Amino acid sequence: METFILIGITGIGLGALYFLVASGLSLIYGLMGVLNFAHGSFLTVGAFVGFWVASKMGFETTIPEFLLAMIIGGLAAGLFALLIEQLLITRLYERHIDQALVTVGVSLVVGAVLGGWFGNDLRMFPTPMWFLTAIDIGGAQIPADRVIYISTAILLLIGNWALLKFTRIGLIIRAGVENRHMVDALGINVRKAFSTVFFLGGFAAGVGGVLVSVYSNGVSPLIAGSYLIYGFIVVVIGGMGSVPGSFLAAMLIGIIKQFANYYATGLGDFVVVILLAVVLLIRPQGLLGKVRA
Amino acid sequence: MLRWKYSRPLLGVVMALLALAPILGDNPLSRPGLQQTMAVAFIWGGLALTYDLLFGFTGLLSFGHALYFATGVYVTCILINHEVVSWWLASLIAIAVSALLALLVGAASLRTTGITFAMVTLAFGEAGHVILERNFFNLTGGENGIALNANLIPQFWISVVNTKYIYWTALAAMALTYAVIWWVTESSAGRVFAALRDNELRVQVLGLNTQRFKLLAFVISAALAALLGDVMLLAAGSAAPRFADAGVTISLLLMVVLGGAVTRWGAVIGGIIYSVATTRMQDLTQQEFFKTIPKLIGGPIAEPAFVLGLLFIFVVMFAPGGLSGAYYKLRLRAITKKSQ
Repeated sequence: METFILIGITGIGLGALYFLVASGLSLIYGLMGVLNFAHGSFLTVGAFVGFWVASKMGFETTIPEFLLAMIIGGLAAGLFALLIEQLLITRLYERHIDQALVTVGVSLVVGAVLGGWFGNDLRMFPTPMWFLTAIDIGGAQIPADRVIYISTAILLLIGNWALLKFTRIGLIIRAGVENRHMVDALGINVRKAFSTVFFLGGFAAGVGGVLVSVYSNGVSPLIAGSYLIYGFIVVVIGGMGSVPGSFLAAMLIGIIKQFANYYATGLGDFVVVILLAVVLLIRPQGLLGKVRA
Repeated sequence: MLRWKYSRPLLGVVMALLALAPILGDNPLSRPGLQQTMAVAFIWGGLALTYDLLFGFTGLLSFGHALYFATGVYVTCILINHEVVSWWLASLIAIAVSALLALLVGAASLRTTGITFAMVTLAFGEAGHVILERNFFNLTGGENGIALNANLIPQFWISVVNTKYIYWTALAAMALTYAVIWWVTESSAGRVFAALRDNELRVQVLGLNTQRFKLLAFVISAALAALLGDVMLLAAGSAAPRFADAGVTISLLLMVVLGGAVTRWGAVIGGIIYSVATTRMQDLTQQEFFKTIPKLIGGPIAEPAFVLGLLFIFVVMFAPGGLSGAYYKLRLRAITKKSQ
């Protein structure tokens, strides 16, 4: 039973990381139709800025210091995302393939710049000592850092939901995901919604970047790789443009991956891809996705 | 497409020169070093062309093309090393396996279109990459890959003196790929591919099974990629997971976009230049004078991805059509000026 709980909660922790990457991807795709390959570089930028802030505070950080570094990392990634959107994406309005290609270019350049400056070796992220302790849940010893991943993901989900539900810009975003041209035709500035979504997506990815670098024991320009791909899988399984769908799919994938890795040694990735194929065959629009007209 | 009456004879002359270069007395191509570089470049040129068939001609943005290339490399290597069959038969089996795999993966992922298709193919491609890294049944050698047992392939491909045979094999594989893709894209199926790219709905209205044609393009390009994988195995001497990396597909995308899609020769030239450039750039950055440049600028420049990425963004934004597109634009301008 303890192993069961341990694997389950570890899976949820991993799912939380996937969700942080996927939420932005899903909204950006749902609203603008942009397949954002640069999302991985938002994650890396957030991780490096967070690392820089945290290492200013010494080899070890307290929990508030760590949270501060995480938020600053997220903000930096959000601003970077905004910059990319304004500089490149908006100029390729409605050219979806070209937009995807440009983001591939961005991810290459950012990877090369960070690799050139810092090298590709892992650098230890200064984390609070508390992360290394374990919490007893139903007899299982859960690493404490998982709590941070899960609560951050839940906070982001709630924040996202509140923003989409109760604010004017959220209303525009929701309407835009549904039918962007109609919103345009009603004389509402959708561009502002685009920028908001890019900033928020970048913020979530940046926060995710800091947490990923805690999870993988350090920062390097290469940490984003597999998370971006899992982010894509989560978005496809959850349904394009649906943040709750992404949350559901991320948790599902995190848990299934951990259990498969434990009971069928190392088959986790494989099982996830099988799941993807099954979802595509049965429900091509994803779990909570709507059929696009 | 603009036709130039000298283009086919020119193609013949260039191919003949490339083929004869290693035995035409003392020239750069008579040295094994450049022969090896060019052999690898030809493979990339051919591979870029197979990607052009998908991306340029049929409008399928796949991010999992590396999987079929790697299947060619790995299946051939495993069959040879376990002394199952000879190189020739192993290559054919690898091509068949790759086509079959593409049939299965394509059937599932072609249920989606556009950008979703890109994500799904990426996921399948990465799954393949992960499986190769895992070393199941001790077949794929995990992260280190497997070295090709040189005693089990024809002896004329072994040793540095014989690099010219690898050069010729790679050149032949590229030429074969070019011929097949030329034939496919000029055939009636090729017209349907182009129509699918331009307006899928109209093809549907005409009563054609769009899924089946897309699958056909997917399988053909996968089979050809496997063929080039067979040759890559000879050139590299080993099968490694890096051949299945998503980075390979992204490089192919770069080659096709930089060289120019849908012109065939654009993709080939793009692939060859890209391959040679990345090899040479690494040599360049090893040199002494390069170390005097401050790290703030020199660090990124030393990474080929930096320059290529910037160039790529520039081409996508300001010069769609790439190298060959720019050439045709210039020709068109010259022709219209003459007729005025």
